[in-house]
Amino acid sequence: MQWAWLIPVFSFAVAPVIVLAGGRLTALSRVPGGAVLSIAAIGAGFAFFWIALLGWMDASAGTESCYVAAGTEALTCNYERTWFNAGLPGLDGSVALTWGFFVDPLTIAMLGLVTFVALMVQIYSLGYMHGDPRINWYFAVHALFAASMLTIILADSFLLLYVAWELVGVCSYLLIGFWHERPAAREAAKKAFIVTRIGDVGLLVGILLLWREVGTFSMTDAFAAVQAGTMGEGVTIAAALLLFLGAMGKSAQIPFHVWLPDAMEGPTPVSALIHAATMVVAGVFLVARAFPLFEAYNATPLLVVAIVGLVTALVTSTIALVATDIKRILAYSTVSHLGLMMLSLGAFGYTAAIFHLLAHGFAKALLFLGAGSVIHSTEEQEISRLGGLRKVMPLTTLVFAIGAMSLGGIPILAGFWSKDEILQAVSQGRNPAFIVFALITALLSALYMGRALFATFFGKLPQELEHTHESPPVMTVPLALLAILAVGFGFISFNWPGAFGGFGYFVFFHEGHGFEFTWWIGILSGVMAVGAFVFTWMVYERGSISLESARRRFAPLLRVVENKYYFDEIYQWTIDRVVLVFAGFVAFFDRAIVNDIGINGPADTVRRLGVALRLHVTGHLYSYALAMTLGVVALGIFWWLITA
Amino acid sequence: MVDLVWFQLLSAALFVIGLYGVLARRSAVLILMSIELMLNAVNINLIAAAAHMEGFGSFSRFDGQLIAIFIITVAAAEVGLALAIVLRMYRNRSTVNVDEIDLMKW
Repeated sequence: MQWAWLIPVFSFAVAPVIVLAGGRLTALSRVPGGAVLSIAAIGAGFAFFWIALLGWMDASAGTESCYVAAGTEALTCNYERTWFNAGLPGLDGSVALTWGFFVDPLTIAMLGLVTFVALMVQIYSLGYMHGDPRINWYFAVHALFAASMLTIILADSFLLLYVAWELVGVCSYLLIGFWHERPAAREAAKKAFIVTRIGDVGLLVGILLLWREVGTFSMTDAFAAVQAGTMGEGVTIAAALLLFLGAMGKSAQIPFHVWLPDAMEGPTPVSALIHAATMVVAGVFLVARAFPLFEAYNATPLLVVAIVGLVTALVTSTIALVATDIKRILAYSTVSHLGLMMLSLGAFGYTAAIFHLLAHGFAKALLFLGAGSVIHSTEEQEISRLGGLRKVMPLTTLVFAIGAMSLGGIPILAGFWSKDEILQAVSQGRNPAFIVFALITALLSALYMGRALFATFFGKLPQELEHTHESPPVMTVPLALLAILAVGFGFISFNWPGAFGGFGYFVFFHEGHGFEFTWWIGILSGVMAVGAFVFTWMVYERGSISLESARRRFAPLLRVVENKYYFDEIYQWTIDRVVLVFAGFVAFFDRAIVNDIGINGPADTVRRLGVALRLHVTGHLYSYALAMTLGVVALGIFWWLITA
Repeated sequence: MVDLVWFQLLSAALFVIGLYGVLARRSAVLILMSIELMLNAVNINLIAAAAHMEGFGSFSRFDGQLIAIFIITVAAAEVGLALAIVLRMYRNRSTVNVDEIDLMKW
């Protein structure tokens, strides 16, 4: 278990190797050399995840570096080394910066998700990116991306977490803009980077605030200070909200959600990775990791988390309902489900949020890779131009259906249980308004998943797609593996007879709790999900229900939703009218005041003075002698005056 | 004994003549000679003062004479150096007119 730190190191190590030697490796084998290295590295990471898990199960409090953490009351193993000592003014002695890693249930659960999904996505990419001229670069950044995310998960200090956090941002920028020949991809990459950066500023300020209060970047120390009450209420709440700002940026919560749908410009496996495992869940993870901070002092920040999550979930699920691009439907559904996870955290549903994070991760990776399979075969993303693909792509249809139904909450699939946990947590932790809107979100989520499924794979097959064929096994095998998890993952939440009491006894906060099933919520959400799928089936497969009259009646409302509530327009207006105007003023100030007066001003003055003063250097000996004589005489007169 | 004032007047006259020479002459050699004149004016002043100040406080007759001898020594060395410079100047530029030697200016 003390070797868990190797999990990201494998992938970190291969990334530069691929960049430097990838081309030469490719010449040696039939498959791209970079892909082999990258897949081997993440495969090793996946193997070490099991080592970490088994090691953790064997460990007990008091041995090695393991103890029961104060906040979570879960068995936590913390390995720490001094990074460097820094003497800083205003503090006695030196500041030891440490870096290390946690092995606790939260970390282990996330490690499993990230290594598995990244492994599947990379194997799938072998088929999807086949023949791309920059395939080695693709796999190098993929490896770096996975490594950075794994570092975020393992980090036990805010500083290390922040470094990895920014690395994730850079990698997402590189991958979204992978096809940088396309202007849209370039723009999307920039948008993703800048929008998440805005949140990251909050994260950085939050971390520095904690450092000022605690004196170290260690999470353990920060949480201990909160629990001991040495950190003031205002500071704690401010720090939690600032951290949440960073989480909002990465997890694409309103109003920072605009970058995620545009990130669809990257290759589809990248979208799968971003949406399922690596990037967007980092925000949810951060809130979960810093939960002691959010929970302290009556959990005021958690109310903010819950409201932001609920609004995000509700607003973006309506957009997903009207989006016409299959990847955009999935993108908005991701945002919506991230909102649900935030809502769950905000309603004290720590276990439910992480459980849904995992279940959603597997299902969403499956859905994106399935959509990628469709795009790979048909080169078409508009659902209006797709349809009936079940006849030509049966396996893809099957796995996509599993993913859609899992995410839509069809009973006994993984998404049903996790969504149920969330709804239950919300009904217990927050007032009834929250559960009503959460149920509406669940219904919408089933509706748009049904729509994506039936509009793409059912109905009439367009003539030009008749010669489409199934994707190669290198793409379908990862899909099948993910599909198994999307079906069966939910069962680990049960109280199985024997040692394992269910997921609630693995990842928990304060105390473990077994699986509970609230019948009215379960039946209601199950019926809603099935009803939604039947409804969309009738619309898109049977054609027995027409939406035309409804579309006409709600045309103005539809236009607002189809334009994504004009978020992009509002941002564009703000940038054009406010940001650029202000930036123009700053640029003017910089040029005219700072540069011309502040910097060039003294230099010009000195130069002009020099030009004027050098005239006294005549080169004539008698003028110097005269000046000297006159000077002496003047001194004499002066002396005579002051003594007289 | 001649009054000290006369010596001082003589010294001042010599000094001013020397100063005038330094300021007004063009030839480097003549300027050097004028400087010598100024130095000797100082010497006269010192020796006269030494003779008159005997028994005045802790002064002795030799104090002024000592300084005068120092000045003569230093002046001799200085003239040797300065004449060497003037010689080089003449070799390089074929003139010892200081008006024409104005390279070190703006």
